[in-house]
Amino acid sequence: MKTKVKTAALVALGAAAAAAIYLSPFGATAQNSMMMMAGGSDQVWDAFGGNQQAQKYSTATQITPDNVKNLKRAWSIHTGDVSSGRRSTTWGATPLFVNDTVYVGTPWYRIFAVEPDTGKTKWVYAAGGAEGPPQNQGLKSRGVAYWAAALPEAGQACQKMVYVGTQNGELHGVDADTGKRCAGFGNNGVVNVDAWSTKNKKFKLGLIQPPAVYKDTLILGWAGLDWVYKTENPGTVFGIDARTGALKWTFNIIPPDMENQTGTANVWAGISVDPETGLAFLPTSSPSPNYYGGDRLKEMPYATATVAVKAETGEVVWSRQLVHHDIWDVDTNSAPTLLDIKKDGQVIPALIQATKMGFHFVLNRNTGEPVWPIEERPYPASDVKGEVAAKTQPYVPYPEPTIPDATPPVSKFADFVSFGECSRWKARLRDEGRYTPPSIRGSISWPATLGGVEWGGGAVDPTTNTYVVNSNIVPQIYTLVPRADADKLYGKDPRGPGGYSAQEGSAYGFKLENFLNMWGMPCWQPPYGTLHSYDMNTGKQLWKKPFGQVQKWGFYMPESWGSITIGAPVITKSGLIFIGASMDSRVRAIDLKTGDVLWKHIVDAPAVSQPAVYTYKGKQYVVFAVGGNGILTPRLSDQLVAFALPS
Amino acid sequence: MTQPHSTRGAWLIVLASLITVAICVYDYYTPETGLIGSGGVILVAGAAVLMFLASLVMAIMPNRGALLQTFLTVSILLDIIGSSVAGYFLESPVIMAAQALALVGWLVNVISNAAERSVETDEVEDED
Repeated sequence: MKTKVKTAALVALGAAAAAAIYLSPFGATAQNSMMMMAGGSDQVWDAFGGNQQAQKYSTATQITPDNVKNLKRAWSIHTGDVSSGRRSTTWGATPLFVNDTVYVGTPWYRIFAVEPDTGKTKWVYAAGGAEGPPQNQGLKSRGVAYWAAALPEAGQACQKMVYVGTQNGELHGVDADTGKRCAGFGNNGVVNVDAWSTKNKKFKLGLIQPPAVYKDTLILGWAGLDWVYKTENPGTVFGIDARTGALKWTFNIIPPDMENQTGTANVWAGISVDPETGLAFLPTSSPSPNYYGGDRLKEMPYATATVAVKAETGEVVWSRQLVHHDIWDVDTNSAPTLLDIKKDGQVIPALIQATKMGFHFVLNRNTGEPVWPIEERPYPASDVKGEVAAKTQPYVPYPEPTIPDATPPVSKFADFVSFGECSRWKARLRDEGRYTPPSIRGSISWPATLGGVEWGGGAVDPTTNTYVVNSNIVPQIYTLVPRADADKLYGKDPRGPGGYSAQEGSAYGFKLENFLNMWGMPCWQPPYGTLHSYDMNTGKQLWKKPFGQVQKWGFYMPESWGSITIGAPVITKSGLIFIGASMDSRVRAIDLKTGDVLWKHIVDAPAVSQPAVYTYKGKQYVVFAVGGNGILTPRLSDQLVAFALPS
Repeated sequence: MTQPHSTRGAWLIVLASLITVAICVYDYYTPETGLIGSGGVILVAGAAVLMFLASLVMAIMPNRGALLQTFLTVSILLDIIGSSVAGYFLESPVIMAAQALALVGWLVNVISNAAERSVETDEVEDED
């Protein structure tokens, strides 16, 4: 009812805006992880995904659906590590709680260790590297990793370490108690990971995502610039000795005979680990250049795939490609979530791989075989000279995808207020639903690089296998620009205005446009973002709701429209979902059973991460890193904020 | 041609517009409001300034032309409606409350004017 009123009021606002002259002028360690999986501890949150299995689940029960309305801000700090413009920060860190300390990494590559109940700073470590021209993707961080020796040596430093990566390819390891560099780790606490990337080097390795941890091995991927160059650093994942920083193994994603034709297909998202089998699960991305594959037609089975490797050796155990010959930049972008599915009287060790396509690949994590059938369906051919799109793509009908197969229809409202701009634009574009190849006239990419599901992935309650995930509904326009025209229009600059990237060295430049009308309104029908719950024992979707609110120039759009989201939910045993992620700079608590919002609170910017949930001295806290992301809104922040029930 | 109009309610609108400006300043600079730096707040503040000026004229110029009276009455009403809708979409109940206060002032003024017109007409009829 409220939504209808709001929609009606929106129309009234449009009319009033035209009439009213006053209104018109003015936009853990494996050990800890095992404990969590067994439900034996609600104390720690020691990895990016809550635990190494990326479950994002807390056994804490103090905050419940009944009392969550009383949740108040317990403390809030500002790290000072925020900047805009060319040095714009992107902070998607999950704070860790372990060793009686909250640790968080910042986009200026500093580690803050703070008291869990007050937010008072214990120590700060500055890795450096944030000064000068921004490297790789700019000032960006998703936080830190934590490791503890299984058999610590008494009186010795660095038996517990915190790691932070930089965008110039350095991994720093510091003592978790003091924040001092660990002299035995690399070169006086610094491992130059970038030095391990020697082929076709176009950029320094961006260590945005903290490594996964298995026993004494760190498993580390990196981020690159796969939309800018044709041939560039080939994707690699490194196994690193957690104590010494020595390279233990390297996994090469690109076949050696293709390394001079392409690059990347790297792992830039989180990695999950099964502490029982020692398997690490790698979500790999698309090869370069992202949007034209005419120079890389040979099959590369590890690209845009989930690959299981032995965490201590890097040896491949199985792999499953999720998109063949990816020319849409639909990277596998989140750590698979591990769970044990109870199906037909059997327990299946499984993983859920959420994707930008809105599919959930539910696989046996020991073999890679699907739990529910995966189909190969035919998709449209490319009409671009030199390009050969894959004839078929994997399609996952069950669990129900988070997005429909067809592109959302044009919004009548957005079309009306732009005098038909949206429908005219759409009529000029190639639009054949999923996997419409990029074209010279322009194609609606559905889904596009924003997803579907973004890099946070989903959360699961491993006791019930209730799975929750947020998803975007965002078509974008993909246009290939023949090289001669691209050079004429944009010069030799590898990146240009209007979403242009050169794909340097290939036959086509590329333009990525948002499908917005002249007023900046989305040209497609809402919702723009949704939240879903599934029973992963049966694969059945339990509920689906628009999530978040779009906020433009301060005005909140109707809740039924939802919001584009970046970040992820967490689940607590008491039946709550905590999530930020939306454009409206709010964090929310949601009833796991119904999807109803039970509590919300305004923070300084969109909390584009996943929160941490922990219990300290008998009190449960929910902590958000509030960084913002230029993709959502220009509003950025450096706030770390904790919520708890009043004493 | 000028004629006396009621100033009743006008000072209430002046007060409401000043309250609205104060709310907007607070919202614009306070992160916890969710409206920090937002264009929507500037829009409402601008509308409130115009409402302030219009209601001030209404309050201090009882002898004004019918055309000016009509313009002020209609403009202030449009301002109240627009600012209320904006307040609704800004999810700011205090802005909406301030507009409600302004609406009370506007109603008092309109009703007072109508009553005074009615009295004048009665007086003319009595003289007949």
